[in-house]
Amino acid sequence: MLVRTVTNILDANNRIARDNRALFDEKKVFVINLMSSPGAGKTSLVERTIDGLRDRYRIAVIEGDIQDSFDAERIAKLGIPVIQINTGGACHIDGNMVQEILPNFDLGAIDLLITENVGNLVCPAEFNVGENIKVMILSTPEGDDKPRKYPLMFEKSAALIINKMDLMAHVSFNIDKAIKDSLIINRNLSIFQVSCKTQAGLEQWFEWLRDRMNDFFARRP
Amino acid sequence: MHELSLIQSLLTIVEQYAGREKFSRVRSLKLSFGRLSCLDRKSLEFAFSVQSAATIVEGAALDFEILPARIYCFSCEEDIVLPGALAEYCPRCQGQDIVLSGGTEELKLLEMDVD
Repeated sequence: MLVRTVTNILDANNRIARDNRALFDEKKVFVINLMSSPGAGKTSLVERTIDGLRDRYRIAVIEGDIQDSFDAERIAKLGIPVIQINTGGACHIDGNMVQEILPNFDLGAIDLLITENVGNLVCPAEFNVGENIKVMILSTPEGDDKPRKYPLMFEKSAALIINKMDLMAHVSFNIDKAIKDSLIINRNLSIFQVSCKTQAGLEQWFEWLRDRMNDFFARRP
Repeated sequence: MHELSLIQSLLTIVEQYAGREKFSRVRSLKLSFGRLSCLDRKSLEFAFSVQSAATIVEGAALDFEILPARIYCFSCEEDIVLPGALAEYCPRCQGQDIVLSGGTEELKLLEMDVD
């Protein structure tokens, strides 16, 4: 007997992500799912973004790591609510992991929740957690071939942050090629060239993010 | 690694169908995904062989439909299937005004042959 199914294998996760989204909408929390390779600068970007936006928004962070809590400790030092998810080997965080730790936050007192995913260019792109937007970082030492090798993450992201621009002179990274390939995959991608170390280019990212957040809050007065 | 999570979800979906449609054995499963979706067929097969042990899908054959990468070319005004991975220009007119239009489809269970 042949049974026609046509079921997306990720449906179960997508349902949980939608439940998370409904809760975030009700509590007016703007959520970013931040993704990149290990070492591209996710935690540094989170630290800079906290510095840049904390005067206007109440920020909290979820740190996803396979193990350990170094990153969460870096964020906690800034006096920001942070919860660590140890995935215990899983290469991404999923909707269920986020749902389970949400009771630890006072969502009514948060405007922006940044979910720092496990360092990985493959799996995190598949698993929604209930975010408003996915944002990815590509750092110049990783090489300009990443859009072509890992197109899914570029397709799903609303913004691409090209980090470590201060190292451009020391690595072979063709910025024009990286941008061109990224835009073939996703025409709507907003691209920012930054250095979390020197802070160059971060102001444009803050401005873009503020606009996105203000649109979201304006629709939920 | 994500193949393990995906196969686990697949097994859950099959078990839900089995409860609803009252079958006790699965002979074969047909799955599909895009060739740019960062899924590996061999890893899926390996994860399936390990995780399906002692379930109603143990021993079932896996059949894959792998969808090609496609671009839309604004000069040709047409969707064009690419022979390999992502291209930098349209393989037909060499034009550079192109956008990815297919190939990143996520894993789906299309159909099952069951007893």
